[in-house]
Amino acid sequence: MSEIKSGIGRRTFIGGAVAGAAVTGFPHIAGAQAKVIKVGMPTILSGRVAILGTSSIPGVQVAFNAINAAGGIDGRKLELVTRDSKGRPDEAAKVTRDLINNDGCEIILDGEASSGSFAVHEVIRDLGVLCLHTNSESSTLTADPKQKVKTAFRCARQGIHDAVAGGSYAAKIAKEKGLKKWMTISPDYAYGRDNTAEFIQYAKVFEPSIEVVDQLWPKLFAPDYTESITKTMQVKPQAVYSALWGGDLVAFIEQSNLYRVFQNTAFFSGGLGDPPILTAIKNLPQGLNTAYRYNKKFPDNPGNEQFNDEYVKLVKHEPTNWGWQNFVAANFVIEALKRTAGKTDGAALASEVSGMQLKTPLGVGGTITMRDTDHTIINYPVAWGKTVSKAPWVVDYVDTEWSKILEIEQQWKKEKGWA
Amino acid sequence: MKSGVLRDLAVGAVLVALLLVLPILFPKPALRDFLIYVMAYGLLAMSLNLLVGLTGLVSFGHAAFFASGAYMFGLLMQSGTVGIPVAMLATVGGTAVLALVIGAICVRLKEIYFSFITLAFQMFIHSIILTWVSLTGGDQGLRGGIPRPPFLGIDLNDAMTLYVFCVVVFILCIAIMRQVWRSPFGFTLRMIRDNPTRANFLGADVVRVKLGIFVLAGSMASVGGVLLALFVSGAYPEFGFWTTSGEAIFMIMLGGSQLFIGPVIGAVLLRLLDHFVTIYTDHHGLVLGAVILVIVLGLRQGVADYIVDWLERRRETRAAAASVASEKGAA
Repeated sequence: MSEIKSGIGRRTFIGGAVAGAAVTGFPHIAGAQAKVIKVGMPTILSGRVAILGTSSIPGVQVAFNAINAAGGIDGRKLELVTRDSKGRPDEAAKVTRDLINNDGCEIILDGEASSGSFAVHEVIRDLGVLCLHTNSESSTLTADPKQKVKTAFRCARQGIHDAVAGGSYAAKIAKEKGLKKWMTISPDYAYGRDNTAEFIQYAKVFEPSIEVVDQLWPKLFAPDYTESITKTMQVKPQAVYSALWGGDLVAFIEQSNLYRVFQNTAFFSGGLGDPPILTAIKNLPQGLNTAYRYNKKFPDNPGNEQFNDEYVKLVKHEPTNWGWQNFVAANFVIEALKRTAGKTDGAALASEVSGMQLKTPLGVGGTITMRDTDHTIINYPVAWGKTVSKAPWVVDYVDTEWSKILEIEQQWKKEKGWA
Repeated sequence: MKSGVLRDLAVGAVLVALLLVLPILFPKPALRDFLIYVMAYGLLAMSLNLLVGLTGLVSFGHAAFFASGAYMFGLLMQSGTVGIPVAMLATVGGTAVLALVIGAICVRLKEIYFSFITLAFQMFIHSIILTWVSLTGGDQGLRGGIPRPPFLGIDLNDAMTLYVFCVVVFILCIAIMRQVWRSPFGFTLRMIRDNPTRANFLGADVVRVKLGIFVLAGSMASVGGVLLALFVSGAYPEFGFWTTSGEAIFMIMLGGSQLFIGPVIGAVLLRLLDHFVTIYTDHHGLVLGAVILVIVLGLRQGVADYIVDWLERRRETRAAAASVASEKGAA
């Protein structure tokens, strides 16, 4: 009996040692002070919104390929390490820690959606590396001073900027065409409701005659919009605003086409302007109004076309909004690294990024500025255009003056007690 | 009974020592992060197993209490009115009251009806989290970080201190659950699981006993939520979504429901799989699904339960062989 016990004990010990080695061997550590500078990206790479991550990564790769081909930063090449957070904020926090602590990433490009970006934000507050949020449009992330983290920035469009630009554009069209009776159809979650409320608020500021006669809130990721469409046909609004995006928007437009909704109703969308969305719609109606997401002809310059071509070479489709935002964010990182001569200390890089005026083909007038007061970008394209049924899919872009946006943004901040 | 308690205390002390020594031997922060994550989800799975494995109540809504822990604790800390110990106690107490209210309705139902009503309550709480934006931050979660002011000379802003704190809290909760597992109350629960009618005939107040374990399980899950909230410095609606309850059930299936520590083993396995699979492929769902299928169809029980059964069978075979040999020798 004692032999049996002894045998089991020995095996248990060996098993325990193996398990211990497996656990303690974890994490597998990247080589010490490698020649490369690793940049980590937590993002969503699976599930319904995987396009967020899959179209963000090539944006960074275009920029990194270019600098690596030119010899890197003082001989050190840049490498992107990505992790799927599966759209879960706690997982986003964990993989961000893993990227820094386990994989040796010295900089983070946070490709998370809104809630995940807040989780990453708190990790950065703890660990102090340079972080650029590249996809979160939530204004609170940077506008609320309580959220401020010294080494965290946002290189993405911001809700309040879009609301002012969209409201201004919609008011202009409403005035020209006498569109007074409006309706909204947006996804039933915080982004959908906030985005819609802000759009309508500023549309009314610029054109007080606008009246919202009905608001519909279909479920996020709903496959069938028949109910919303038939309700729209009953209400007969002159214009519809929608914060639907991605596959939901494609489904909504295709189903609306069956009922010829857009023949007598003007349509305004904040999310239609992404080329992969535009090309996914089988019969894209002409004359739909959409916010700029990305277009190789806007800003119309060779640098933008070159970015588009390099991006297409990597993934065989045109960039999304997230694609260009990540491209620009990667260039902010590259420029900051050049200025610190490859030093990756979070505080040193952050002091370079703060207030940086980055020369980029995606900027209005060739420059995008990382505002030092609230660590967010300005002077990026906030234009609205109209759809056409063939490439470049959206034309007649109308830009809103940034001075106007900044003035209203300041008032908005005061109302919120943030300025 | 007394020697059992002493043995459990000794095992607990060894576990604490082991968990404390590991990050000293292997000081990379990633290991600490991983273990904190496992401890938080381990508490969720362990507490759920008090219902599933011990009582035979398959709750699909246990993550509601996990989320309740994270949100109550986060909101109390953000209010700045209380310290961490008071906030933790208030969170556990508050979640116990919530579990009492929900449990009073749920435990009167059996089998699939119990499962679905717990799911319904979870989705109700999840909806409250999503829609009460001014309090919870809606689908963007509790923003702005969770302050960790020092208390009794303990500063949880230090990563190692936070880890030690999590280890101590985790082991304390495990010890409490272990005592329940081994107590007469625990054996009453097993009796209810196996034959509630007989338990009733023998004088057990089935509804009250079930309600008791439901409240305890909810309270322990809330501690897991507190640990996760401290770790990620936030609380998010996903903590209370049905998929989180599903993960806890996966952990129990992977680790086993009959060995006390099985769900923690399941939590370690699932998180390790998740960690490494996510590094190498985006098709982690496919890989995890395949692994779970192999375990469930191949072993037909959790890994820990399988190993314990296998060891037991081997011991019996050897004992029988030794007995035959000694009889032959005597002859």
